[in-house]
Amino acid sequence: MFLAWNEMKSAKLRFLLIIGVLTLMSYLVFLLSGLANGLAELNREAVDQWGADAIVLSDESNINLPQSSMTIQAAQNISAKDKAQIAQILLVARKSGTKIKESVAITGIQKDQFLMPKISEGRAFTTNNEVVADDSLKADGLKIGDQLNISSSNQKLIIVGFTKNAKFNAASVLYTTQSTVQKIKYGKANASGKGLINGVVLRDPNFAHLKVNSKLKLTPIETFIENMPGYTPQKISLDFMIYFLFVIVSVTIGIFLYVLTIQKVSIFGVMKAQGISSGFLIRSVMAQTFLLALFGVVVGFVLTTITGLFLPAAVPIQLNLPALLVYGLIFILVATLGSLFSVQTIVKIDPVQAIGG
Amino acid sequence: MSILQIQNASKIYGSGHTQVNALKPTHFIAESGELIAVIGPSGSGKSTFLTIAGGLQKPTEGSVLINDQDVTKLNERKRSRIRLREVGFILQASNLIPYLTVENQFRLLDKVKKGNMKPNETENLLKQLGIEDLVKKYPADLSGGEKQRVAIAKALYTKPSLLLADEPTASLDSNRAFEVMSILSLEVKEKNKAAIMVTHDHRLTKYCDKVFTIVDGQLSQTVNEDQTETP
Ligand SMILES: Nc1ncnc2c1ncn2[C@@H]1O[C@H](COP(=O)(O)OP(=O)(O)OP(=O)(O)O)[C@@H](O)[C@H]1O
Ligand SMILES: [Mg+2]
Repeated sequence: MFLAWNEMKSAKLRFLLIIGVLTLMSYLVFLLSGLANGLAELNREAVDQWGADAIVLSDESNINLPQSSMTIQAAQNISAKDKAQIAQILLVARKSGTKIKESVAITGIQKDQFLMPKISEGRAFTTNNEVVADDSLKADGLKIGDQLNISSSNQKLIIVGFTKNAKFNAASVLYTTQSTVQKIKYGKANASGKGLINGVVLRDPNFAHLKVNSKLKLTPIETFIENMPGYTPQKISLDFMIYFLFVIVSVTIGIFLYVLTIQKVSIFGVMKAQGISSGFLIRSVMAQTFLLALFGVVVGFVLTTITGLFLPAAVPIQLNLPALLVYGLIFILVATLGSLFSVQTIVKIDPVQAIGG
Repeated sequence: MSILQIQNASKIYGSGHTQVNALKPTHFIAESGELIAVIGPSGSGKSTFLTIAGGLQKPTEGSVLINDQDVTKLNERKRSRIRLREVGFILQASNLIPYLTVENQFRLLDKVKKGNMKPNETENLLKQLGIEDLVKKYPADLSGGEKQRVAIAKALYTKPSLLLADEPTASLDSNRAFEVMSILSLEVKEKNKAAIMVTHDHRLTKYCDKVFTIVDGQLSQTVNEDQTETP
């Protein structure tokens, strides 16, 4: 640490530049992790609010809630500890008299079951066609009392309340009664639609032991989320970018330190001639990398936090402190590993040649 | 007691046409309390002799004993430890670390070895060498002579029993050179060290107990007529 720190103090500009590069890289890692997190949230935050353990869908639906269909009768036969019926249809809604259009997931629930969301503004729905909407819609100009027209149906919905964090597969959720969804799906006249819902959400840690009839399929909630259209490919791509960035970080700082080490061969040689061990020199190079990476991460973190404060709501970046800490630690770790490039060089320095006889 | 014993050591660089007999088979002993001068023309093998004596490199043949330990039988790690504990080098080129201030040059040695000079001893030494005001400076801000004196202080700082100096007075004026010689001589006598010093300057041999000449890698002792005083 002693050598590392004193060298950095005496060549401030050089080391500030390296810290600058590391700062930008850690900033990029942090923002990407925020983006991965934000995009994942767009898909799953409504499901996370449910606090559910599993979901029962029709076997034919291929673990896709909007595609699933089952009878209320079948739902009632499931013997889970706590269950809630769900009906859902994905549509486009337009605010009456305007051009404001939104992708929405109209979600029919029973008010007395656990899917009923917390109301953050306004009130709960009491009759058909009243909806509690995801409050991100407010940013697009929707408010309580607004009427919504629906594509492919003549039903009109009216917003009576808002709830927080209600995005489902990137669509804004509108919570309403089950029969509202049935009316939109099957039309007023069709009585057969009355007994149909999409699925049953379960709160039961021991769901694995439950038996469902052969036309239904019991799926853990995490698997359900991973099967949402686009969710897994998106997550894999972003995770891959982050992992690849870590490799780049390791190689980049490895190269920087290698070049610095090459420049210091004769200085290291002098120290070795005096009897200072290779181990001490290697530790000091690693300590230096650690310090550089630490500074880079701290500044990158500050930049990320500031950026987070100024991001417009439309940008799907969600910074989450534990994730940032983990990525910060990994960043410092891989950077320090990069300094191992120089180990061989340091070990091989011949003091006699370095001091030039 | 002999601090350094060189037995039949020789050094051959390269092989075939480019072979250089830098050091011909040599016997050499440095007793404690001896300050020894080695004089010779450029390229005669002085630095080669010194680096072999200090365990910096192994001779092609023969053995080198520092305080009765044969360093030719040790690996680099162990030789490095012996250099740290027993040997003080004053190198021909500056052996200062450019990014450490003078005082931090000493701190660095404290990081790697215990039992170095105490603050008051260091202060005395720096005063004797006339560099007590330079402790906050970086090597780049020192004159050649100041660098050399700091290097001398650095070599003495770890209290080595064997001091090896490659032209330690080269960039000093004669008064300063004589002063440095008396410091080295005092250090050797008082603390029972052995010191070997490579020099071009015949006037300095009067401070030395023995004088050796090296020509084409052949080391031989010469009668030291200049030895008039033993400080
Ligand atoms: N690493 C090496 N490889 C090959 N030859 C070498 C090497 N080091 C020194 N020599 C040769 O060995 C001989 C002795 O070199 P050495 O450095 O010991 O001379 P020196 O007496 O210290 O000279 P100077 O007074 O100029 O410092 C020279 O001919 C030199 O060219
Ligand atoms: Mg030389």
